[in-house]
Amino acid sequence: MSRIANAFKDDCAFIGFLTAGDPTIEKTVEYILAMVEAGCDLVEIGIPFSDPMAEGVVIQDANVRALKHNTTTDDVFEIVREVRKKTDVPLVFLTYINPVFFYGYEEFFKKCGELGVDGIISPDLPYEEKGEIADIAAKNDVDVISLIAPTSKERIQKIARDATGFIYVVSSLGVTGMRSEIKTDLGAIISDIRDVTDLPLAVGFGINTPEQASEISKIADGVIVGSAIVKIIEEHGENATEALKDYVSSMKNACID
Amino acid sequence: MVKVKICGLKRLEDIELVNKYKPDYIGFVFADSPRKVSHELASQMKENLDSSIQSVGVFVDADLNEILKLFDENVIDIAQLHGSESEDYIRKLKQKSKYQLKIINAIEMSDEKDLLEYDSSIADYLLLDSGKGSGKTFDWRLIRKDLKKEFFLAGGLNSKNIPQAIGEFNPYAVDLSSSLEINGYKDENKIKEVMEEINLTKGRYGEYGGQYISETLMNELLYLEEQYNHYMNDPEFTEELNTLLREYAGRPSLLYYAERMTEDLGGAKIYLKREDLNHTGAHKINNVLGQVLLAKKMGKTRVIAETGAGQHGVATATAAALLDMECEVYMGEVDTERQALNVYRMELLGAKVHPVKSGTKTLKDAVNDAFRDWIARVHDTNYVIGSTMGPHPFPMMVRDFQAVISQEARQQILEKEGKLPTAVLACVGGGSNAMGAFYNFIEDEDVKLIGCEAGGKGIDTPYNAAALTNGKIGIFHGMKSIFNQSNYGQIAPVYSISAGLDYPGVGPEHAYLRDSGRAEYVPITDEEAVGAFEYLSRMEGIIPAIESSHAVAHAMKIAPEMDKDDILIVCLSGRGDKDVKSIAEYRGVELNE
Repeated sequence: MSRIANAFKDDCAFIGFLTAGDPTIEKTVEYILAMVEAGCDLVEIGIPFSDPMAEGVVIQDANVRALKHNTTTDDVFEIVREVRKKTDVPLVFLTYINPVFFYGYEEFFKKCGELGVDGIISPDLPYEEKGEIADIAAKNDVDVISLIAPTSKERIQKIARDATGFIYVVSSLGVTGMRSEIKTDLGAIISDIRDVTDLPLAVGFGINTPEQASEISKIADGVIVGSAIVKIIEEHGENATEALKDYVSSMKNACID
Repeated sequence: MVKVKICGLKRLEDIELVNKYKPDYIGFVFADSPRKVSHELASQMKENLDSSIQSVGVFVDADLNEILKLFDENVIDIAQLHGSESEDYIRKLKQKSKYQLKIINAIEMSDEKDLLEYDSSIADYLLLDSGKGSGKTFDWRLIRKDLKKEFFLAGGLNSKNIPQAIGEFNPYAVDLSSSLEINGYKDENKIKEVMEEINLTKGRYGEYGGQYISETLMNELLYLEEQYNHYMNDPEFTEELNTLLREYAGRPSLLYYAERMTEDLGGAKIYLKREDLNHTGAHKINNVLGQVLLAKKMGKTRVIAETGAGQHGVATATAAALLDMECEVYMGEVDTERQALNVYRMELLGAKVHPVKSGTKTLKDAVNDAFRDWIARVHDTNYVIGSTMGPHPFPMMVRDFQAVISQEARQQILEKEGKLPTAVLACVGGGSNAMGAFYNFIEDEDVKLIGCEAGGKGIDTPYNAAALTNGKIGIFHGMKSIFNQSNYGQIAPVYSISAGLDYPGVGPEHAYLRDSGRAEYVPITDEEAVGAFEYLSRMEGIIPAIESSHAVAHAMKIAPEMDKDDILIVCLSGRGDKDVKSIAEYRGVELNE
C-alpha cells in the first residue's frame, strides 16, 4: 500500500499545509515534524512562488516571507530530505507549475522519487494540461493529485476516472483562505465522484475550525487545512511549534469524533 | 482537448504521413469502399504506425470473428461499426474481447434520430456522420447539447469549418478523410493545414498557449470559448459589434501618410495607423467592445479587468458604462499613484478601482487579483483581459477583436499605394496591438512583421521588460509562453518607462511567430522611445503614447536605410496625453499643476 493510501486507511485523515521556508528552512522541518507528532496524516508542502494566483492573502504573504530569503526549489528538496530521516508520513508538494517546468520535469520528478515525495498538487494544471507531467510523475511513483471544484460538474467523471493518490475536493469558489461557512453542496459533489472512483476524497479551501472539520469528516475521507496553519506560523514566527501541535491535535480529534 | 482521427489510410506512405503529424487515431476501412484495405496490408501498416496513434477498423455488418481476429492480431485497437449492428452485437464483441476492444458506433444523422437513446449504449463512443462516409456535412444543430456519450464528428470536415465544429459542438474527436485527399490519396499539405488548424482551436500556437488555470475556471473558459464561437458566427452579433466600432469608437481609423517624417528620414515611406484617434485614445477599445458585448450576450452583469497604465481599465469602464454593466478594475498600487488621473477617469465612468498591494504592485499583480476575483464570481462575471495573453480562448479572442487594425490597414495601403508594405511595426507588451496589426499580413510572406519590446534602461541591465529578447519559456497566467524569470522560475520584476509595456511576458502567438521566423522582435530603450515621442510631436504634430513611441523609434532607425519605394506601416496604438507628465519628469522638467 502506498504511503498516501495508508494515510486514509483508518479514519478521516487530517492533512496540513505549510509554505516551505516560512519562516526558515529549519523551522519548516521542525513544524512538519510537530504537525505529524500531533496527528497530521499527510503533509502538503508549498513550494513558494512569486505569483500564487489561487491563494488568498494569508498564503500569499507566506510566499512573500519565504521568497524574501530566497527559498529555492532545491531548499525545499532539502526540507524533504531532513523530514524523511524522521518520518514516513506521506508528503505532497503543492506547487504552481512554472517552478517545476523551470527545474525540468525529468529532474524534478526524479528527485521527488528519490527523496520520497509521494504526490504533487498543481493548482494551475487542469485535466487538459495534465499531460505535461503525468507520464514522468508516474514513472517516478509520484501521484498527480487532481482537483475537483464546485464548478466541475460533468468534468467530474473524466477527472475522477484518471485520478491517482487522492482527490482534492475544492469546497468553495474563490481562492484559499479561512471561511466562516462552506456553502457548496459537498454531499452531491462527493457522491458524483464516488460513482466513478474508490480513491480517497479530501476536502480543502476554507476549513479552519474543529466544528467544520467534524462536519466534513462525516462525508469525506480527509480534511485539508492550509491558511489556518499558515496564520499560526505568521503569528508565532519561529516559536510556533506548541501552537501548531495544539491546533493540529484539536483538528485531528474533530476528524475522528 | 479535441482528438483527431484520420480515416481511410491505404498506403504505407500514408503511415509515414500520420507518424509525422500524429493524429490520435487512424482508420483502416475493411468494408467495401474505394479505401478498402486487405488484412495483410493493414497489418503491415499497423506495424509501422507510431505507438502513440491508435488504429480503428471500419466495418459494415461484418462477421464478429473477423473483427476479433484483427483485434487479437493487434491490427486494430478500436472497431467502428457502420452497418445495422445491434446493441446485442456490440455486447458480444465486448464480451469476446474481454472488454478490451473499444467500440465506436456510427450513426447516420437525420431529423428523426434521437441521439439521447445512445447515452445508455454499451459502445464507448458514437460517430456522427451524414451517411457511410459520404464526405458531406450534416446539420450540426441536430447534435443534442445534453448528449452525454462522447462522439466523433465526421462528414465534410475541413480546415475552414473545423473551428466552428469544435468550438460550438464540442466533439470528443473530429474524423477526417476525403478532405485530406487529392485524386483519392492522402496529401501531406492538406494534413498539415488541418492539423495546424486543429491545434489553433486547442489554443496552441506551436508549443505555446494552452489553458494552465484553476479547475474552478475550466468550465467557464470552455463555455466562454463556445459562446465566442457561436456569436462570432452570428451575423446579428457581428453587425452590432461593427456598428459600435463604427459609430462609437470611430472606426475605421485613418492610415496617415507621415510626409514630413518620411522626407526628414530620407528613406522608406512611413504610414501611421492612427489607433490613437479611436474613442478613449487607444486600440484597447476594439477589444473591450467585443468582450463586453459578448459578456452581455452571455447574460453576465459584471465585468472585471486588469490595467497597467490605465488605458485598458478606462476602455473597459467605458464599454461597461455604454452597455450598462457593473465594472471593477484591478490596478497595481504603484500604477494607481503613477496614473492617478486615469483612476479618477475610471471612477467617473462608474467603475470601481481596486489598488493591488501584493507582489510588485504593478500589472502582473493586477492580473493575479483579477483572476482571484473571477474565480470567486464566475457565475455573474466575465474577466475582460486586455491583451493577447492568459489562458485560451483569450489570446485568440483578443487577437480576433484587434485584427480589425490590419484588416483596415491592408485595404487602405492597397488603395493608397497599390501594393503591400515592406514592413509593419508595432510595440509589444502583452502584444495586442501588435497581433492586431500583424494578423492580416501573416499570409503575405513578403511583408516583414516587427515587434518592438521595452528595452528599458538596456537589455544588459535588470531594468527592462523585453521578454522575447531576455526571457525564457515558462507557464504563467494561464499560458505557456516566454517570460522574464529568475533561476528557479520565479517571475521577475520588470521595468519600462511605459506602464503599458511593463509586463514580464508576452502573448503566446508572438512567441510562436518569433520561433517560426515569421516575425522579428527588437528591444527599444527608454531613451530611444522618449526621443521618438518628442520627434513625432514636433515633426507631425502628433503626440504618441510612450508605448507606441517604441515602434516609432524603430521606424526612425530603419527607414533611412531603406529605398524610397519601401513602405513602413507603424501602428500608432495610442495617444500620448497621458504620458506628458512622465516624459517631462524624464527630461527633468518641473511642471506646476
